Amino acid sequence: MRNGIKTLMVMGAIGILSLSGCASTMQYGDAGSAKPLTTEFGSSDLQQIAETMVDSMVAFPPLVELTAGRRPVVSVDVVKNKTMQHIDTESITDSIRAKLIRSGKFRFIDRTTDAQTIEELKTQQDSGLVDKKSAVPFGQQVGAEFLLTSNFSEIRQKAGSITDVYYKFTMSLKNLKTGILEWSDEKEIRKVFKRGTFGG
Amino acid sequence: MTLNRSLIMNGVSAAVLIAALGLAGCSTTAGVEATGKTGWDEQGARMLEKNVVYNNSSLKRDLLIVDVKSVMAGNIMRAQATVRSKDKDTLPFQYRFDWYDSDGIELNSGAGSWKPLILNGRETKTIQSVAPDPRAKEFKLKLREPD
Repeated sequence: MRNGIKTLMVMGAIGILSLSGCASTMQYGDAGSAKPLTTEFGSSDLQQIAETMVDSMVAFPPLVELTAGRRPVVSVDVVKNKTMQHIDTESITDSIRAKLIRSGKFRFIDRTTDAQTIEELKTQQDSGLVDKKSAVPFGQQVGAEFLLTSNFSEIRQKAGSITDVYYKFTMSLKNLKTGILEWSDEKEIRKVFKRGTFGG
Repeated sequence: MTLNRSLIMNGVSAAVLIAALGLAGCSTTAGVEATGKTGWDEQGARMLEKNVVYNNSSLKRDLLIVDVKSVMAGNIMRAQATVRSKDKDTLPFQYRFDWYDSDGIELNSGAGSWKPLILNGRETKTIQSVAPDPRAKEFKLKLREPD
């Protein structure tokens, strides 16, 4: 009887010692971590798509030739999100645009900040506060030569305890003058979730 | 007495379960590193100085870096590594490329992300990356087991 209680206490102590590892914790994580948590679109998926697109575009021979002596001006179109999820697709194109600008190969115009630009130019022109010599005039911005368009789709399959999600991100660079697609590539991602027997 | 015994058994199984749960949280992140550095030979031709370091013995058992090479796309450096699985089962890995300029200063320090790499049994695969900008003259490929 006494022995039994002793064993129980020892076991309890081991249990408590192990439990200290299961307490709630809070810490910084690696922003570049590739650990998938769900089949939903995640940060690593975004990074993979952005890097693949930029790598492909920067290394594509006709574009290497095109960007050898100049930096063409590109505009980014809104991603056609055909997935069932609500995804901030602008965040994907923002990453792609930032990487392309840093590569020194392309320059971009940003249509999303036009309202602020017009407001600022109006102030410079009309408020009487700004020296006319330094005020930026309307109608001097550079037109984009290319348009970067993208499509994002998913195929979701569910059978028993397995959920299989296939993502496909397609991107194209369209010459606005000729209408020709100068470059196009796609990135596929497959995520498989298998529900455990005891899992929630 | 019967009650006590069942109490003890319950205690034992609970402790074992908790210990198992506690253990499951551990994982290693050390791995394999391969570097490629742009250099020039006596004739002035571009060449790549290669170096592979295995920091993790279990990864060294599972994985072999067969080849590391690099070409230029215009003025931007591209890298490719050929990786072979030594295991007969399908194994998941993660990799990333970090880029350095000619002085060994990292470009976009810390901005890279890990990418998944699935190797089927005894399969050979190539992984590629393109430098973030023309300053890059050296790369480091890191491979690890999934976190």
